[in-house]
Amino acid sequence: MRGLHRVRAEGIFYLLVLPFAALTVLFGLWPIVLSVQVSFTASATALRPDPQWVGLANYASVLGDTLFQESLWRTLAYTAMAVAANLAFALAAALLLDSKLLPRGNMAFRLILFLPVVTPDVAGYVVWRWLFDSSFGAVNAALDAAGLPAFAGLTTPATATASVLVAELWHHAGFYTLIFLANLAIRDPALEEAAKVDGAGAWARFRHVILPQLRPALVINLVYATIQFLKTFTVVVVMTKGGPAESTTFVSYLAYQYFDQARYGEATAMATILFAVVIVLSLLAYALGERGRA
Amino acid sequence: MILAYAVAIPVAAVFLFPYAWMLSGAFRRTRDVLADPLRLWPEQFDLAVLADIARIGGAPLHGFVLNSLLYTSLATVLGTLAAALGAYAITRRPRLPGFRWLRAGFLLTVMYPYMLLVVPVYIAMHKLGLLGSPLGIVLFLCLGPIQFLLFEQFFRAVPAAVIEAATIDGASEWQVLTRIVLPMAMPVTATVALIGFLLTWAQWFPVLVISRGPETYTLPVALLSLNTELGASFQGIMALAVLTTLPPAILFLIAQRRVMQGMAGGAVKG
Amino acid sequence: MQERATRLTRRCLGFAAAAALAAPSVVRAQVTTLTIWHDLGDNGITWFERMGQAFAQVRPGVAIRSQSFPTEQWFGRVIGAINTNSAPDLIFNNYERVIRIQSQTNRVMDLRPVLEGVRDRDFLSEQDLRVGTFRDRLIIIPTQRVQMAMGTRLSWLRRVGESAPPDTWEDVRRVAQKFREGDPDGNGRADTFPFALQAARPRDLVHMLDLFTFGAGLTHTLIDPAGNITIDQPEHATVLAEFLRTYSTYRWVPPDTVNHSFTEMYQVIEGGRAGMFRVGDWNVRRWDGANTIGGDFVSHPWPRFFPNRDNAVVIAGMRGVGVPENAPNRALSVEFARFMLTRPAQQASLEVMGSAVRKDLDVSSLSERQQWFARARHRLVAYDFPEATHAFYPELEAGFHRRLLAAIGSPPRDHEVFIRELAREMRDTARRLSRG
Repeated sequence: MRGLHRVRAEGIFYLLVLPFAALTVLFGLWPIVLSVQVSFTASATALRPDPQWVGLANYASVLGDTLFQESLWRTLAYTAMAVAANLAFALAAALLLDSKLLPRGNMAFRLILFLPVVTPDVAGYVVWRWLFDSSFGAVNAALDAAGLPAFAGLTTPATATASVLVAELWHHAGFYTLIFLANLAIRDPALEEAAKVDGAGAWARFRHVILPQLRPALVINLVYATIQFLKTFTVVVVMTKGGPAESTTFVSYLAYQYFDQARYGEATAMATILFAVVIVLSLLAYALGERGRA
Repeated sequence: MILAYAVAIPVAAVFLFPYAWMLSGAFRRTRDVLADPLRLWPEQFDLAVLADIARIGGAPLHGFVLNSLLYTSLATVLGTLAAALGAYAITRRPRLPGFRWLRAGFLLTVMYPYMLLVVPVYIAMHKLGLLGSPLGIVLFLCLGPIQFLLFEQFFRAVPAAVIEAATIDGASEWQVLTRIVLPMAMPVTATVALIGFLLTWAQWFPVLVISRGPETYTLPVALLSLNTELGASFQGIMALAVLTTLPPAILFLIAQRRVMQGMAGGAVKG
Repeated sequence: MQERATRLTRRCLGFAAAAALAAPSVVRAQVTTLTIWHDLGDNGITWFERMGQAFAQVRPGVAIRSQSFPTEQWFGRVIGAINTNSAPDLIFNNYERVIRIQSQTNRVMDLRPVLEGVRDRDFLSEQDLRVGTFRDRLIIIPTQRVQMAMGTRLSWLRRVGESAPPDTWEDVRRVAQKFREGDPDGNGRADTFPFALQAARPRDLVHMLDLFTFGAGLTHTLIDPAGNITIDQPEHATVLAEFLRTYSTYRWVPPDTVNHSFTEMYQVIEGGRAGMFRVGDWNVRRWDGANTIGGDFVSHPWPRFFPNRDNAVVIAGMRGVGVPENAPNRALSVEFARFMLTRPAQQASLEVMGSAVRKDLDVSSLSERQQWFARARHRLVAYDFPEATHAFYPELEAGFHRRLLAAIGSPPRDHEVFIRELAREMRDTARRLSRG
């Protein structure tokens, strides 16, 4: 009874949260529930109004599928690389922009870094796709003009992964840079002064004074980036279609391929597994970041 | 300092090059682009491409522009409102029955790989009777994680003392919200609205799934639709890409300071 | 204060607009509109418009409204719509795609009784009808036989001193070398490629192989209707080996081709970088134009590999119209489906889309290259649509594609051995899939 009583007394808050709740449940959670439902049905009947339920068969099949296993490792590896690359780049860029070393055009540089974040991803990746083309792209034309060896672009596994990484970094890094910059803006100058007075060098100051103060930004960026790159999808659709030789077939793209082959049950099972992985890893990332918080 | 610029300028150039290439690709013929990829200034300003993309899938180009503008603006207004009120309620009373589940559920929706939700979203919208309707699209676009999280950060930072003082003075919750908190939240709201607009403009997935035909397509969706086996023009794709990128780019450049401060400032509070 | 007022106004306007959008439109229905979903892009929409106008003469008060979706979305939408009883009146696509719809919904009408009521249908052969049938149900009325030939750049042939397009595979090898090294476009740079092909997705690559295989006079690229794998039969293996080498050791295609789907392939062709390529009867309209290659190509059958087998142009697609059982206006839809076989509808089909099924159409308004397809004086073979016989075919093809891409990425020392191995793998896979 106490619960209900509270609800009535605090009615206004329920009223306030109603639009948000309606949107989240109807357009966010309900489709996910429906999708998970499909993962428990046989693919051949999955989209019919009266599907055949097969329990965990799809999950067993997916987990035992070598293609999926390889794709999962690949996704984890790529995520680790992408998160590391993006955060390292963002941190370096933020530190550079925050220091006094770029007085002229500082705002312009920030804008240039952030513009790709608000550029529709489809448009951006289409351009990158052609930029990397070995025969017709500007990248190789530039290398050629500079007398450097050609870049294999999207034609070999290693370089395709690298190209995808670069394109995604172009699109996302500005966001992480911004978070770091904001954190840098609210740090305590007194601590650095004290360290300088104590005779600490630039590297020591960075490690012991600046970095600890960047903890909030690091946590946020780590969690955001992990979630973001685990779900890598649009860039693969536009640039590589999973190739070459599956080197960029990450789990979300593999699920999409299965969907295309009418293997709906397995595709949604795969998506649910990825979902679980995302949840676990982002919680881990969060816990890691918050650990040792004084 | 010289070293700093020696690093910054090339990086900036690399970041900007795709835009230059996109722009030039819109005006140059495919033949010329493939022959001389590095050239940025068009051989001739070939505007024939506009005829190519004047109608996509049977719907006129200006329709896509209007849809993008209309849906994005509406979704921004409604979404900002819902996020603000929702975040306020949840931060004021985090332990009310159901609130913690709601917040967790919301965070979960961000983590699901969205591309497989085609059929579920279609079915859900059908059951709600919103299939193919602009309202359905607008409502779906209102969902935005950043908006909620930014508001949450802001409301958490409002000192409890301020609220307490008001309630002690006898103000009702409604009055606290409208007389005290909302005025304080004006700057954040404007920022969130701006950011919401920029991010919502690029959304293509919900629009594509919910639309029953090209008359409700937005620019990014039209861009994706150019990819049919029976007519794919590189120049057209570039031209459309430019058109899709220009409005948020311009808006961003105009409101830059607000966006950048707000984006970060709300997200990181020590 | 000012800001608050603006925000309040914005809020009110927002609600008002939202309410306006939600209000149902009140329109007096004077016209019944039939909706039809396809993936043919703007050309298709034009075609349906023309048919709609013609149909209105016969059936006043009925309008046709067509919508085009990218192929990948067409599937999800049609299946979802039929399964939620919000189906369109008609669906139009390639036969193998409508199969997918039927197997996922089991609600595509059997049009056999409908077709029986059509007197003027001699141009539809038994073969055509067999193609349109899936598990004893005629799920489409075939309306277009889609031809795909090989095309070669005329000016390139002239410049390298060839008097005719290649006919045998030996010819192709000779011409390919010249296209690669002889600067056939005359711009002084070594930037030309003999072939423009595609490979990114399973259907992209295997479809190309289908064209070479059937075009050489063979049948069944990978698996035959009885379920036997065919790739290690001597003639099939020859074609497959040369096909793989085209992509890898011969280097006759741009290196990025492994990532190319049709969009990229078209870019390469229209950008004037390739000498030989696939020409579909629908491509001609666009490629006759000055902003692409200005009609500078000649269409001809696929290469002859074996002296005792005639080479041919491949009917690689059969497009037709289907009617969902829960179509909102079933009777009218069926009538329109029948109408699509009449002369005016078929004439529009030929002129706008490049293909039809009737043989008595007027070709005088077509360009020289379009007429080549329309008159069809060349030998034609029809693709076998394995998806119609084996439900597991897409998965089998995906596995096949994977191994082929591996062979293209790292070419095996001995292709014959590789193909034997691959055949064994495919047999195991097919056995497993057909059981499961």
